[in-house]
Amino acid sequence: MSVYEIRDMAIQIDGKRLVEDVNITVEPGKCTAIIGASGSGKSLTCLTPFGLTPGTASGSIKLDGIELASANAREMHLARSRYTGFVFQQPLTALTPHLTIGKQLQEATSQAGPQRLSRQELALMLERVGLSRADERLDQFPHRLSGGERQRVMIAAAIAHQPKLLIADEPTSALDASLRGEIMALLDGLRVEHGLATLLVSHDIASVENHSDDLIVMDQGRVIESGPTVDIITNPQRDYTKRLIAATPRLTEPAPVLPVVGDILMEAEDTTVLFPRPGWRQGKIEAVADASLSVREGEAVAIVGGSGSGKSTLGRAVAGIGPLTSGTIKWQAELLPERRERSLAMRKLIQPVFQDPVASLNPRWKVGDIVLEPLRNLSPELSSPERNNKLAQALDDVGLGPEYIDRVSTSLSGGQAQRVAIARAIIAGPKMLVLDEATSALDPLVGGAILQLLAELQRAHRLSIIFITHDIASARRLCHRIVVLDAGHVVEMGAMAEVVENPKASVTKLLIEASKR
Amino acid sequence: MRALFNRNHWPLWVVLALVALALILPAILPWTYDQIDWDAVRAPAFSGSHVFGTDEIGRDRLARLAAGTRVTLMVAVAAAMVSLVVGIAWGATAGWMGGKVDEAMMRFVDALYALPFMFIVILLMVIFGRSILLVFVGIGLVEWLTMARVVRGQVMALKQRPFILAAEAAGTPSIKIVLKHVLPNIAGVALAYLMLTVPQVVMIESFLSFLGLGVQEPLTSLGILVKEGADDMDMTPLGLLLPGGLLVLLLICLTIEGERLRDVYS
Repeated sequence: MSVYEIRDMAIQIDGKRLVEDVNITVEPGKCTAIIGASGSGKSLTCLTPFGLTPGTASGSIKLDGIELASANAREMHLARSRYTGFVFQQPLTALTPHLTIGKQLQEATSQAGPQRLSRQELALMLERVGLSRADERLDQFPHRLSGGERQRVMIAAAIAHQPKLLIADEPTSALDASLRGEIMALLDGLRVEHGLATLLVSHDIASVENHSDDLIVMDQGRVIESGPTVDIITNPQRDYTKRLIAATPRLTEPAPVLPVVGDILMEAEDTTVLFPRPGWRQGKIEAVADASLSVREGEAVAIVGGSGSGKSTLGRAVAGIGPLTSGTIKWQAELLPERRERSLAMRKLIQPVFQDPVASLNPRWKVGDIVLEPLRNLSPELSSPERNNKLAQALDDVGLGPEYIDRVSTSLSGGQAQRVAIARAIIAGPKMLVLDEATSALDPLVGGAILQLLAELQRAHRLSIIFITHDIASARRLCHRIVVLDAGHVVEMGAMAEVVENPKASVTKLLIEASKR
Repeated sequence: MRALFNRNHWPLWVVLALVALALILPAILPWTYDQIDWDAVRAPAFSGSHVFGTDEIGRDRLARLAAGTRVTLMVAVAAAMVSLVVGIAWGATAGWMGGKVDEAMMRFVDALYALPFMFIVILLMVIFGRSILLVFVGIGLVEWLTMARVVRGQVMALKQRPFILAAEAAGTPSIKIVLKHVLPNIAGVALAYLMLTVPQVVMIESFLSFLGLGVQEPLTSLGILVKEGADDMDMTPLGLLLPGGLLVLLLICLTIEGERLRDVYS
């Protein structure tokens, strides 16, 4: 007996059919997960039946006996307020900023009926979602809580009126890696305890495989494959699903064969970065504290840590695009000075690639000009035909054809933009790349392809790589060694295989747990 | 640029039509703005060659309207351009340098904001006598402040963008980063605020002229025409209604246009 059943649903926006032929069944106490790349229609599929998108749904959508496709306003209100709870991706924007946590919860419960809950009952609800000091939190405003705590409050509010169906739209993707496992475990526990039917949406197959009973794979508005999760993961039928599963890095996959490493190229010793506090306030914020790090020729080193651990700041200090308060960064025997004092010859050695591929390209420039920029400055001796040869070569290296030279950067997709950013980084022949979360903003398929590309470039150019990430599983595909940062301090360091097998620091354990999901 | 010329947007066409009229009319009218027709003092509309009649000393009203609009728009555009150049230079420097330099430069802007602007302009006029140059100086003194703040904010936001860091890693010199990466990307917002500055300057100039502090006779501006019309409104209401209506139309259209551009770019 299913709680929520969708049969042959299609969704239209402005006369365009964006989603077609969707069949979903969710049973009490079970979780059905929808996965797909961005633009595959997965969020539309789960929100449109409740009138939460501009689209209109047709077909048969039954929620506990109510037909949502033909529901009138009163029935729709009932379906939304009594029977369904929603958890959204952004815990910061999903809570009303001017209401205290207690008031938000009170509002959420009062949907189901007129009764007001006592303070104890509200505090009990917060305790149920694993928040400590629950009584105190009732009087706090959302901005006082961390991202993970806010998401717990969201979940408490979503189940406050004891709904039959819980819809979670990417509930963990905006959260710190180390928190994701905890939130998923919480959702699992509540589902079993209350017999909630859960519809989970994600772009990441690995994050749902251990938490869902049924899996629906969507691509371009159509259901590609559906069935029990275990069956699909172990025995995918469709090509798209196979590629998706293969592209997703896992800690359980066999360790890759990595290129041989040479002598030490870069050595950072006791690097400390202090930031002044904003405004007129006294004191400094310590982003990186006495971190040391070395990279050999052809070696890839992963810097991992949660958000705010200082991993990007360390990477930027090494690449010479961020401040360095004290400590030394040496290239072979030569000292690399801070940021603006670096000579062009030093700039040529290290090049960065950033997380957000679209923001890392000047929106007003053409691809050709963007990729050529380092060459114009760092190798001014080249003639114009030589430069154009190098441009064609660099684009070819990253798998883009010469037709991209005249494309405007805003017309590129995320994956193409990241390839252009990598082409810009390698065109002047650097010895080392600093990749700051270079794959984490991309869809799994695209991110997997970029990881593959980086591994190829690493071999072809004998590149050293600093791979900054929160995801140990994707770092493992590329890196020889791993450095774990927490609150600016290096807490663990060693060969990738050893650290993954036998983590010592608690942060490392959390991050590995998150990568196993 | 495509955003600037939206063909379906009427206020833009009204502004362009008024500018065209102000430029063309003085060349084709039989009368100039300071020429007195002794045979037709306070002539009503459509009398002889005077389409809108003449004022109390016999000058052709249409010719004076065209000349006044021309002066007002000229002052407005020139002052807006000055504010654009100074504001961008000041704001971009402060935003790009950051830290102490930024603090000092922006506190200077705050200090200028705090000055009683109208009072200072009046003092300047009293001390140095009335001249169109002083009108420029007075208006320019305040109008670049807002532009500087807007530009600084934009530059500070852009400075954090990865493509600026990538340019730094690519060895592009700072000055080139500002000129080639930063400024082109704030051009849209700057243009929108430029369009909003123009009606503000029109307003200030008309106000100064109305008080008798702006443009000097026999040169005229919309503010002076409104003042003259107001003095004589019980005899010839047309003298007030025409420049007043024109001023209102111009201000509304320019403001709508500026706000539209601001919405497009931010």
